[in-house]
Amino acid sequence: MRLNFRGWCGFVAAFCLLIPFTLLAGAPKESRFEAFLVWATNGDDAARKPVTPEIRKKLKDLPLKWKNYFEINRTGLSLPPGGTQRAALSKKCSLELTDVDGKHLEIALIGKGEPVLKRTQSLSRGELLVLGGNAPDETGWLVVLKRIE
Amino acid sequence: MTEDQQLQLQAFSDGELKGRGAREVAAWVARDPEAAALLKELRNTREALKGFAPQSKVPVSRELYWPGIERRIRTVERERAPSRSPEFLSMLRRLLMPASALAALLLIVTIAGLQSGLFQSAHKADTETAMADSGTFTYQDYASGTTLVWVGYPAER
Amino acid sequence: MAETDHSSADDGALVRAAQKGDTGAFEELVARHRDKIYARAYSMMRNEDEALDLSQEAWVKGWQRLNQFNRKSSFSTWMTRIVINLCLDELRKQKRHRSESIEEMGEEAGGVERQMPAVTANPTERLERGELRQRIDEAMRGLSHEHRTVLLLHEFEEMEYKEIARTMDCSIGTVMSRLFYARRKLAGLLSDLRSEN
Repeated sequence: MRLNFRGWCGFVAAFCLLIPFTLLAGAPKESRFEAFLVWATNGDDAARKPVTPEIRKKLKDLPLKWKNYFEINRTGLSLPPGGTQRAALSKKCSLELTDVDGKHLEIALIGKGEPVLKRTQSLSRGELLVLGGNAPDETGWLVVLKRIE
Repeated sequence: MTEDQQLQLQAFSDGELKGRGAREVAAWVARDPEAAALLKELRNTREALKGFAPQSKVPVSRELYWPGIERRIRTVERERAPSRSPEFLSMLRRLLMPASALAALLLIVTIAGLQSGLFQSAHKADTETAMADSGTFTYQDYASGTTLVWVGYPAER
Repeated sequence: MAETDHSSADDGALVRAAQKGDTGAFEELVARHRDKIYARAYSMMRNEDEALDLSQEAWVKGWQRLNQFNRKSSFSTWMTRIVINLCLDELRKQKRHRSESIEEMGEEAGGVERQMPAVTANPTERLERGELRQRIDEAMRGLSHEHRTVLLLHEFEEMEYKEIARTMDCSIGTVMSRLFYARRKLAGLLSDLRSEN
């Protein structure tokens, strides 16, 4: 294989251009999330705000027995690389996120000050993590976590 | 008969009721002639429709139908691939050799970096730890990218 | 150069070939299933031009999504789902521009069909098949898009209520009401035929 002078110039130029690009691409960025506290029920409640159509569609694909989902609270979380953030979704319920390696998250659900669940998983943009349990009167509670950035 | 009862009867006829619900409706039908008559009508209608799936044929010949589809497929594929001028293509060809060498160099660097721990591994298994004896179960809907984790932790009033 | 003869290959083999980019294999799939896909589109849209356009669009989408075909259902069932969704999208677009008729509002509320006494005579008894088909087609034409769609999805696509609700983006209660109304209306229309005979 023989390279002419133009070929070598192109090679060196491409290599030099790629180095800063690779470094920038590798630089860690803050991740942003949105968490929702949702009430699941078969009844109707005109006073409550339904969840967004995107979330509703994804919840309907899950094996949940409820027809209606209402947004009780919503909060944003910004997670620096390797950092931890906690947000309260209600007086009794908090969510704590820890960035593990830029792609994986440790998610801890805290209820009444006690840890209920801790989970480590990846969560890409557009994916949802739904934590849930039963609530009184045959309703349910859900915590929906979504990565925005 | 209320609207709810009528719909229950229909659900029973369609096999959508199970267990106790189905047994209750069956018992109701056995003692109520009006319910029995409506159930019979629903079943007759379903029977009448069986085998009568709409059977319209494409009103144009294969020679006209397929080219329309083929044209659209080509349009869609053309829109997906970005257009390039001939000059750009010949420039790409000239850079092909050095670009391949560069790609090989980056591959070596990446492998060396991974082995030396310079880059963090992207692969980590999902793990889950329940803090309390909450009887969790996990369901994953791969199509929509949604994970459901159900905990046995009840909310209080 | 000799062209590959796809006519003897089964659907599975044709799909695999098409997934590798063989448009000849895909053309054979179209030839085999075009009537079924068109029929579903026509039964929903009740308009030949729209059905033709949407059925062709469905084939293009099928080509684009071939790699997502997971063989859990037959190829024709998979394609039918694609055309159904396209038709539903089109019907939703049309509904935004269409003013709702009083008849349709009456249909949603249940109308007289809820109260009419049960039709106990079996419409399939002593009726010629051809005649019954014609009358069913007529009766289906008399339903609104929503009612006809729910009936088609349940009776001919054999979808459960939950799946229909998901496909039509409505509640299970709405599916049940529409299905009930459509069936009662059909029963009424078919019983008219029987008494005429």
